[in-house]
Amino acid sequence: MSIRRLEQDPGPDSGTRRHVALTVSAFQDAIRHHARYSLGKKWERCSGHELFMAVAFAVRDALVDRMLDTEDRYQQVDPKRLHYLSMEFLLGQSLRNNLSNLGMLDPCREALRTMGVDLDEVLEGESEAALGNGGLGRLAACFLDSLATMGMPGYGYGINYEYGLFKQTIDSGYQREKPDNWMARGNPWQIERPDEACIVPVYGRVEHGIDRTGGYNPMWMDWKIIIGVPHDMPIVGHGGNTVNVLRLYSARSSEEFDMQIFNEGDYLKAVEQQIASETISKVLYPADSIEAGRELRLLQEYLLVACTLRDIVRRYSKSHDTFDQFASKVAIQLNDTHPALAVAELMRMLVDEHALPWETAWEMTQATLSYTNHTLMPEALEKWSVSLLEAVLPRHLQIIYEINRRFLAQVASMWPRDHERLRRMSLIEEGQQKQVRMVNLALVGSHAVNGVSTLHTQLVRTHLAPDFSQLWPDKFSTKTNGVTPRRWLLQANPLLSDLISNTIGNGWITDLEKLRALEPSTQDADFRQAFMAMKRVNKVRLARLIYDTGRVVVSPDALFDVHVKRIHEYKRQLLNIMQIVHQYLCIIQDGQEPPVPRVYIFAGKAAPGYWTAKQIIKLVTSVGQVINNDPRVKGLIKVVFLPDYRVSLAEQIVPAADVNQQISMAGTEASGTGSMKFAMNGAVIVGTYDGANIEIMQEVGEDNIFLFGLQVEAVRQMRERGSYHPRDYYHRNPHIRRLMDAFGSNLFCPNQPGLFRWIGEQVLDHGDPYFHLADLEAYIDTQNRVAQTFKDPADWACKAIFNVARIGKFSSDRAIAEYAREIWNIKSIL
Amino acid sequence: MQLDQHRAGEALIVTPLEDRLDARVATDFKERMTELIASGHAKIVLDLSKVEFIDSSGLGAIVSSLKRMGGRGELVVCGLQETTMTLFKLTRMDRVFQIFDSEQQAVSALGGERG
Repeated sequence: MSIRRLEQDPGPDSGTRRHVALTVSAFQDAIRHHARYSLGKKWERCSGHELFMAVAFAVRDALVDRMLDTEDRYQQVDPKRLHYLSMEFLLGQSLRNNLSNLGMLDPCREALRTMGVDLDEVLEGESEAALGNGGLGRLAACFLDSLATMGMPGYGYGINYEYGLFKQTIDSGYQREKPDNWMARGNPWQIERPDEACIVPVYGRVEHGIDRTGGYNPMWMDWKIIIGVPHDMPIVGHGGNTVNVLRLYSARSSEEFDMQIFNEGDYLKAVEQQIASETISKVLYPADSIEAGRELRLLQEYLLVACTLRDIVRRYSKSHDTFDQFASKVAIQLNDTHPALAVAELMRMLVDEHALPWETAWEMTQATLSYTNHTLMPEALEKWSVSLLEAVLPRHLQIIYEINRRFLAQVASMWPRDHERLRRMSLIEEGQQKQVRMVNLALVGSHAVNGVSTLHTQLVRTHLAPDFSQLWPDKFSTKTNGVTPRRWLLQANPLLSDLISNTIGNGWITDLEKLRALEPSTQDADFRQAFMAMKRVNKVRLARLIYDTGRVVVSPDALFDVHVKRIHEYKRQLLNIMQIVHQYLCIIQDGQEPPVPRVYIFAGKAAPGYWTAKQIIKLVTSVGQVINNDPRVKGLIKVVFLPDYRVSLAEQIVPAADVNQQISMAGTEASGTGSMKFAMNGAVIVGTYDGANIEIMQEVGEDNIFLFGLQVEAVRQMRERGSYHPRDYYHRNPHIRRLMDAFGSNLFCPNQPGLFRWIGEQVLDHGDPYFHLADLEAYIDTQNRVAQTFKDPADWACKAIFNVARIGKFSSDRAIAEYAREIWNIKSIL
Repeated sequence: MQLDQHRAGEALIVTPLEDRLDARVATDFKERMTELIASGHAKIVLDLSKVEFIDSSGLGAIVSSLKRMGGRGELVVCGLQETTMTLFKLTRMDRVFQIFDSEQQAVSALGGERG
C-alpha cells in the first residue's frame, strides 16, 4: 500500500470499488506525509493550523478517491443530474463532518492521540466557510449533504467569495463588523480547475444586423470579459460511498490587462480594471443590503449563472451530440430568485450559440429549470432596472423582452382585455424607472415552483403570485425545508446521538423517521433522567462559553431560552426583549419572582446598513447589562448576547437549549429551519403560527410546543381594515404601558439618555408594522406557561423527548426525496 | 502584428500569426485588412487557426472587414479553435460568416483551387 493511500482496495472483483475503513497507522502515515510534502515541515514542528492542514489533506485524499469513483459510476449510468444554483452555501467547518461521514472520526482521533495531539483542538483550527447569511445558505449546505448521503447525482454551484459573511464583535454593546478573509491561510478542501475556466462576457451593446440568409441577427458586441475559475469542494455523504462536488467560481480578469488602456500608457488604470474584475467574487453581500453596489451584485449573479450553464452544457455535450435529451438529463434548481437570470442565459445559449429554434429552446428551458421561492418580503423581491440590465447584459434584456412579449400574448388570449392582469404579470414593471421583475422571470421560465413550508406555499399562491397560480395551478407545490441530522444531531450532539443509538439503534442517521421508536422511552424514568443529564452536560459547556465570551455567570440548572438567528425586525427579537423587560419589572417593582430561573440567550448578525437591527443588538446588550447586574433580580433572569453567530457557534448552542424562540410575525418567515435543529436536539419551541412552526406542531403534537399569537389571516384583516392601533394596547394594558415607558425612560441607557426612544416612536407612533403589541400579551402568558411547565422535570423531559422522536419529517433527506421524485426526476445511483 | 498571406487560386489566405486577436492588435489588423480589400482582393479566407483568443475588439475588426467588402466580394473564416468558435457563436457572428474547418474547405467553397 502506498503511503498516501488511506485504505485498502477490496480487490478486482468488487466492480464499483467500495472503500473500507482505514487503519490508525495508515492515518498517521498520511498526516506525516502531508506535513512533510504538502507543508514542508516535520509534523512535530507543525503549528496548530498546520496540523489541521495536514489532517485535512489526509482526509482530502480519501475524498478525492471517492469523488473520482462517484463520477465513474455516474458516467456508466449517464443519469439525469441535478444542478443546485445558490448564491449562498453556508457550509461552516468541514473537517469533523467529512471525518464523520467517511466513518473516520474514531481512527483519526486515535491516530492523533498516539501522536500526542487532541483532535478537538485540530478541529477548532479550521476557518469556517461562511458563504451565506442564514437559513437559505444553510439549507443549500444541508441539501448537498442529503444528496450525497442518498447517492444522488447532485452538484452545487455557487460563488467562491474571498470574504464570507463579516465577523461580528461587540464593542460597548454595539455590533462591529470585521472582514472574514476565510481563505487567507489556505483552504485544503478546494481543488482549483483553471483548465475549466469559463469566459463570461458582460457590458457592450446589441448590433441589429442581418445574417447570411437576410434574417434578423442581433449581435452582442463590444463586451468585456470576466473569467470564472471553478474551485471544487468534495461533498461526502454519510457512509462515504458518494462524494459529489460543490463547484464555486472565482472571478478573474481575462489573461492580460485591458491592452487598449495599457497601450495608452495608463498602467495604473489597467491594473485597476483587472482588480475590478476580480472584485466580483470578493465579498458576500449581507442580506437586506442589496441597494448598495447593485451593479456588482448583478455581476455576481450573472457570473454564477453563466459559468454554471456553460459547465452544464459542456458536461452534457461530452456524451450527447444533440440537445434532444437535454431536459431528460439535466435538472436545474434555482435557490431563490438570485439566479433567475438563468432563464435568459439558457435561452441565449440555446438560441444564439446552439442555433435552436426559439420554441424548442423555450420548451427545453422550462422543462429544465425549477424555482424555489424563499421570501414574501416585498423589499427582498429582486428587481433590476431596465437601464442597468441594458448596460450590463444587453442581449439578455432583449431576450427577456421577447419572453415577455410571447408570455403576455398567451395571457391576453386567455383573459382578453384584462389589461390590469397583463400589467401585474408582466416581466417588466412600468413606472418612472422601468424594472425587470426577477420573480416573474423565474415563475415563467420554470416548470415547477415551490414554497418552503405549507403556509408559505399557500401565501405564494394567494399573495405573491395569484395570477400565475391561476394560470398554472399544477406548477406550484410545497417542499417543506429540512436539516441534515448528520451535522445537527450526530455531530453537534454526540451525547444525545449515543443515547438514541443505544436505545433504538443507529438507523435514524439515514432514516430520521426511525426516531419515532423513542416515543415509548418518554415513559421510562431512567431514559428521561439520562436525557436530562445529557442536556445538562451540554448546558454546562454552553455556560462555560457564555462566561468565556462575556464574563456572565449562568447556572446550567436555569431554563436556557434561546433566540438565535439573523437580527431583523420581522423575526421580532424586540418582542422577546419586551417580554424580558416585563419579567424584570415584575421582579423589581411588583416583587413577583419568575417560577424558574431563566437565561435568555441571543445571538445573530445585523446587516451592516440596517440601523434598527443594529439598535436591537445594542438594546439586548444594554438590557442584559442592567438586569445581570441588578441585585434585586437575584440572578433569576440573565440576558446574554453571544457574538459572531455562525454555524460552529450554533452547533454549541443548539444542543444546550431548553426552549427555542421562533416568534416572527405570522406570514413573514417562509420556513425557519432553526426550529427543526432545536427540536431535533430536544428543545421545546415557543413560536407563532408562522413558517414551518405549524407543521412542527402537527408532528410533535400541540402539547409539546407552545404556539401563540395572531394567525396570518388575522394579521391580514387587521392590516387591511387598519384596525391595529398599538396605542390602544398601550393605554389598555398597564404592563405594556410600563415596559414601553421603561424604554422611553433611560432605565437601560443611563449614560446615553434617549438611546431607546426609537422603540416608542416606531411601535407607538409609526404603526408598528410587525405587530409587536398585538402579540405581546399572548406571548407573556405563553412564556409564563413555559416556566410553569419547566418546573416539572419529568413533564418537561417528556415534551423534549417527543420533540426528538417526532422530528423525522424535518430531515433534509425527506425534502430531497420529494424534490427528486416530484420535480427533478433524479434517482440514487448506488 | 504579423499577418501571413498567400494565394490559393482566386482566394487570398490571410493568417494572423498571433495567439490573441485583441485590443492590442485589433486596430492594426483592421487597417491591414482594409488595405488588402482596397487593393482588389474579392475572395478572402481568414485563417484563425493560430488564434487562441479573440476579444470583442478583435471580433469588431473582423466584422468591419466584412462591411468593407460591401457585398462586392466574400470573406470567409476557417480554422477556429474551440474558444474562438465559442466567441463567434456567443456574438452570433457564426450567422454572418461562413465558417469552415480547414483552409482547403474554405478555398473550395469560394470556387478556387488550393494553390
